[in-house]
Amino acid sequence: MIKKADIILFILILAAGLIVSFLPLAGTLERPQVKVTVAGDTYGIYDLNKDQTVEITQETEAGTITNLLIIENGQCRMEQASCHNQICVNHSPIDSRGEVIVCLPNRVVVEIVGDSGKGGDVDVISG
Amino acid sequence: MSSPAKNSRTGLVAISAMFAALALIFSYIEFLVPLPVPVPGIKLGLANLVIIIAIYRMSFRHAFAINVARILLAGLLFSGVFGMIYSFAGGVLSIVVMYVLYRTGLFSMVGVSMAGGVAHNLGQLITACILLQNTAILSYFPVLLFSGLISGIAIGILAYIIEKRLPAFN
Repeated sequence: MIKKADIILFILILAAGLIVSFLPLAGTLERPQVKVTVAGDTYGIYDLNKDQTVEITQETEAGTITNLLIIENGQCRMEQASCHNQICVNHSPIDSRGEVIVCLPNRVVVEIVGDSGKGGDVDVISG
Repeated sequence: MSSPAKNSRTGLVAISAMFAALALIFSYIEFLVPLPVPVPGIKLGLANLVIIIAIYRMSFRHAFAINVARILLAGLLFSGVFGMIYSFAGGVLSIVVMYVLYRTGLFSMVGVSMAGGVAHNLGQLITACILLQNTAILSYFPVLLFSGLISGIAIGILAYIIEKRLPAFN
């Protein structure tokens, strides 16, 4: 049933997976920032170590779309979202670089980045 | 009884339609009962069971048509247009990968399905990067890679067991 090529492929995929898993661990940061992106455009950059509440609102033809982001104790979490699946709200709080909370229906990405707010710097509007 | 040569084309159309319906039901089941994991995008991929068997028993064209029909219908019925775009990218990449591996003849169903699972998640992730214009989502990749691997193996084993018991088509 299982052939030798299957096992080789399994090991290759596993190895590739392990390599990608450990890549983001390289490089820690001093002053983490929370970067909020809406549909590819930067919405704002906030200090992760300063407790605050960020309301992300988007005006669309269908009405106002909202996401409520709470930053406290060096962690941030999505408190409320107007989307139907609530995946971002159920996501556990994030606190280290490279971690993200994504709200696909509202096209909101919350990510933790370094000082300069570098990350997805590509500013092309998606269709 | 009936002559297979004459009826096989019609028969295949009927079987394709049945497979598409079955794949749609599997998509529906997964939509109704999501796996209890905190990371979005992790699924068992039950519909892939149908697609693999279609690749083995019918042809690439049939399998592709079944998959596209399933994605379009599931998109319109439950996952929404955005969900459809993600499923489409994942579905197309995974079916191409699975067919290529199947044609090499080197791999068993488990290997084919395993690669298909990983390719599906990769396709979705790349689409998400393009749609959201953000590469940070790639940090989900390891999780999705391992989940694709595991669910692909599970589905591959199931497909192997089921395929052996299916009667010949025609």
